[in-house]
Amino acid sequence: MEKVLKTLRKWWEVFVLFHHGTFIDKRMAVVRKEAFDINDNLMLLLFGDFLGIPNPVSYYMLELLPYVADDLETWERRIQNRKFIIAEKAAQYDFD
Amino acid sequence: MTSTEVKVHMKRFTFFGGKGGTGKTSCAAAYSLFLASKGVKTLVVSTDPAHSLADAFDKPIGFQTAQLGDRLWGIEIDAEVEARKYMKAVQDKMLDLVSAAIVDEIKRQIEIAYMSPGAEEAAIFDKFIELMESVGETYDAIVFDTAPTGHTLRLLTLPEILGAWIEHLIEKRKKAMDLMKLAARYDKPLAERIENDPIIKTLSARRDKFSLARRILTDPQESIFHFVLNAEKLPILETARAVELLGRHGIAVGGIVVNKVIPPEAGSFLEKRRLSQEQYLREIRTRFASMKIVELPLLDDDIQGMEQLGLLSPLMEDLGG
Repeated sequence: MEKVLKTLRKWWEVFVLFHHGTFIDKRMAVVRKEAFDINDNLMLLLFGDFLGIPNPVSYYMLELLPYVADDLETWERRIQNRKFIIAEKAAQYDFD
Repeated sequence: MTSTEVKVHMKRFTFFGGKGGTGKTSCAAAYSLFLASKGVKTLVVSTDPAHSLADAFDKPIGFQTAQLGDRLWGIEIDAEVEARKYMKAVQDKMLDLVSAAIVDEIKRQIEIAYMSPGAEEAAIFDKFIELMESVGETYDAIVFDTAPTGHTLRLLTLPEILGAWIEHLIEKRKKAMDLMKLAARYDKPLAERIENDPIIKTLSARRDKFSLARRILTDPQESIFHFVLNAEKLPILETARAVELLGRHGIAVGGIVVNKVIPPEAGSFLEKRRLSQEQYLREIRTRFASMKIVELPLLDDDIQGMEQLGLLSPLMEDLGG
């Protein structure tokens, strides 16, 4: 009996992982991508002066730096490498 | 006026503004001396980057509060010192949260922001709010000796403009966080982290500071603005414009101090000037009819030191306690 339960539980776990991988993760990835995009745009409003875009409150934005310091470098690279906005959007909707 | 009357009528925050060279500092110093003499614990603050408060009192004042007399303290806000303090706080906070290598990387960016236009103003404004918050405990009243008109108007209207900008940033971050939360539905620890987003917290704290400053500045029971001018054409015109602009931003103007009024006994050399001044004084009285008008005579010597200020300070009584 115990052995059967154990096998059942194992299969259930496999099923959950399969379900997440097939349906949820993909859907969530779209939402996450959208959230990241909004965040990237927000970063542009917060720290645009690092890229040469004047910001009226850049002095006050410094106090946010500790919380975004880790992402700052990759964000800068991402935002500077943006070439095809349409392709970016298309990728988000899984047209490939 | 007795000291209890003064304590009832005075505003907690009094600003002296006006065109450069009209005598704002002398008036602010004399008025603060008047308040102190009536038993009000008074702090007089200079927000002008080119300080002259120490010269008016003929005593050293720095970026830290210095005692100038009985119940009277003074401070000259130093933008550079304040900005350095702020950057130090940011760097310390950063060391707590991220690795030293990243802090090094980011130092360059901090320097850029430090050099950016507006940084000096922002630093002065921060100190300005900090001092305003200290009223009630250490001091009963603060008298501000402000910079020439343009600079001051920007300083006082800053909270309104920046408040709107920051509000927009918070909205945007909230939107991103809502989506993140949606995506993190199956990830408990991540969802919790999103709930306590430090960026929204920091931005909100900043917004609250701005709205506090705005509330105090636009409350006629709390703060009052006095203009100092000379009986000449240009100062009158500039003051009229400034009064209108402050009114549009909801800041109350209480009085006009006409400084350096030539007395009749000045003699024949100044007689012609005195006559044209009479005409300007009439214009001031009609133009600013709704405000209290105080006239200070032209003295035969520079206003410097406690003794001279003591001569002027009783005249400031008409501005109201």
